Amino acid sequence: MTLNSSRYILRETVNSMKRNPWLSIASVITVMVSLVILGFSIFFLANASNMAESFESELEIATFVQDNATSSQVDALRNQILEMPGVASVTLVTKEEALQDFGKTLGGTQSNLLADLGGRNPFPDKLTVKATDPQNVVALAEVVAALPEVDKVRYGQGFVDQLLKFTQWLRWIGFGVVAAFSVAAIVLISINVKMNVFSRRREIQIMKLVGASNGFIRWPFLIEGLALGLVGGAMAAGIVGMGYNSIAMYVLSKLTFLPVVQNAVLFRQVTFGLLLSGMAMGALGSAISLQKFLRA
Amino acid sequence: MIQLTNVSKIYPNGARALVDVNLKIGKGDFVFLVGPSGAGKSTLIRLLYREESPTRGQVQINSKNLVRMKEREVPYLRRNIGVIFQDFKLLPNKTVFENVAFALEVIGVVKREVRSRTRATLELVGLASKETSYPHELSGGEQQRVCVARAIINNPALLVADEPTGNLDPDTAWDIMDLLYNINKRGTTIVMATHAKSIVNKMQKRVIAIENGKVARDEEKGGYGYDT
Ligand SMILES: Nc1ncnc2c1ncn2[C@@H]1O[C@H](COP(=O)(O)OP(=O)(O)O)[C@@H](O)[C@H]1O
Ligand SMILES: [Mg+2]
Repeated sequence: MTLNSSRYILRETVNSMKRNPWLSIASVITVMVSLVILGFSIFFLANASNMAESFESELEIATFVQDNATSSQVDALRNQILEMPGVASVTLVTKEEALQDFGKTLGGTQSNLLADLGGRNPFPDKLTVKATDPQNVVALAEVVAALPEVDKVRYGQGFVDQLLKFTQWLRWIGFGVVAAFSVAAIVLISINVKMNVFSRRREIQIMKLVGASNGFIRWPFLIEGLALGLVGGAMAAGIVGMGYNSIAMYVLSKLTFLPVVQNAVLFRQVTFGLLLSGMAMGALGSAISLQKFLRA
Repeated sequence: MIQLTNVSKIYPNGARALVDVNLKIGKGDFVFLVGPSGAGKSTLIRLLYREESPTRGQVQINSKNLVRMKEREVPYLRRNIGVIFQDFKLLPNKTVFENVAFALEVIGVVKREVRSRTRATLELVGLASKETSYPHELSGGEQQRVCVARAIINNPALLVADEPTGNLDPDTAWDIMDLLYNINKRGTTIVMATHAKSIVNKMQKRVIAIENGKVARDEEKGGYGYDT
C-alpha cells in the first residue's frame, strides 16, 4: 500500500462517515453500549472473585472466645482444638490485635480509640480454625461451638458458595447481554458499510472498470467499519475506566470493609481488550457486507 | 491480439447472446461491430474486458486466456483495456479533471504523475480548458471526450466502445470518431459496436456483423450493410 493510496483511502473513509452520520452514530453507540456492559461485567466479576477469596474461605471457621476467658484459657482452648481430628491449623487473633486492625481501617489515631469506645474493647479473641477438608467444616464447627469457652462460631455457611454461584450466573447473563449487543453492533456496522457501498456503487463500478484491485476498493469500507468499532471501543474504555474509578473511590470511602480491586494491570488489559473488541466488531461488520459484493 | 474460439454465451435467464463465435482481431486494427439490437454486440464487448465470461469457448487477449484468468488478475487486465460507453458513466460529483485522474488514483499512481498525465490526456482530447467543470456543465460530446480521456489515460493496448456516439448528434459524433481515429493511429486496437451507418460507411474499416449471436459477415473496409 503506497502512501498515495493511503491518502485516498483515508479521504474516502472520512467522506463515507459524513454521508450517513446518524447511522454512524448509532453504530458507534451500540458498540459502546455492548462494550461498556462487557467492561463493567469484567470488573464486577473480578471484584466478586476477589471478595470470595478475601472472605473466610470455605475451610475456615472463625471461633469467638467467651469474653471472660483468660489468656491461658484461650491458649488451652487453642491446643484443644488443634488436637481435634480434621483440623489443619489454628491461628489466634487477640482482642487487642483486632482493635488495632480496626483502628487501622479507620485510619485515625488509635491511641484514644479505646477511650472513644467507652474504655471497653468490643472485640473478642478470635481463633481461626482451618479444616483439612471442606466436607468436615460443618461438623467441626458444631463441635467447636459446643466447647464451654466458645461464645459462637462463624463459618462459610454457604456464603462463598452463594457468591460463586451468583457470579456464575452473572457471567452467563453478562455474556448473553454482551453477545446480543455485539450482534446488534455488528449488524448496524454492516448496514452502515452496505449503505456506503450502495451510495458509492457508481464509483465502485468505475474503479473496477479501470482496474482498481478489489483490495483497494475494499479498504475504505473495511477501515470505515474498523473506525466505527474503534471509536465505540474507545468511548466504552473511557466510560468504564472513569466510571469504575469513581465507583471504587466511593466504595473505598463509604464501605471501608469491602475489598475493591484496583489493579493497574487489569485496568490496562480491560482498556486494551475493549479497544480490540470494538475493532473486531467493526472488521466483522464490514467483512459481512463486503463478502457479497467484491468476491476475491 | 484478440482471439475468440467457439465462444457461446447463454445468460442465466436462457438468452442465447452469442453462439459459437470465432474471431481474430490483429494489433492496431479498427473494427466495427454492427447488427440489429439484441444481436449480441454488447455481450461480445463485455467478454473482452471480462465483465462477462463465456458459457463455452475461449477468449484470449495478447495470448492471455480470459476464461482461465484468476479473479485477482482481472484488474491488471483492465488496466490495459480502455472502455467507452454510450452513457459516459462519469461521476457527477467530480470535476472533469477528477473524473480522469480517478482512473490513475485508484490504481495507486503517485500524485504528481497523476496530475501531469491527466493534464496531457485532457489536452489530447481537447478539454484542457474544461478541467474544473462538472459533467452536468458539459455538452454530450464533451462528456464523451472525458470518458475517452479516462479510457486512454493508461495507454491501453485495446480500446472497446459500445455505441460511443449513440447519444450524440452527427457532428459531435464525427468529432469523437476523429479522436478515436487518432488514437487508433497511435497503435491502439479499437473495437466499436455501433448503429451509426454513415460513420461505418465512410471510415472504411473492418466490419463484423453479428446477427442472432453469430458472425454473419466479416469484411475488410466494409460498409454498414443494413438500412436505417
Ligand atoms: N445481462 C443480461 N442478462 C440476460 N440477458 C441479457 C443480458 N445482456 C444481454 N442479454 C440478452 O442477450 C442478447 C444479446 O444482447 P446484447 O449483447 O445486449 O445485444 P446488442 O448489444 O447487440 O443489442 C439479447 O437477447 C439480450 O436480451
Ligand atoms: Mg448493445
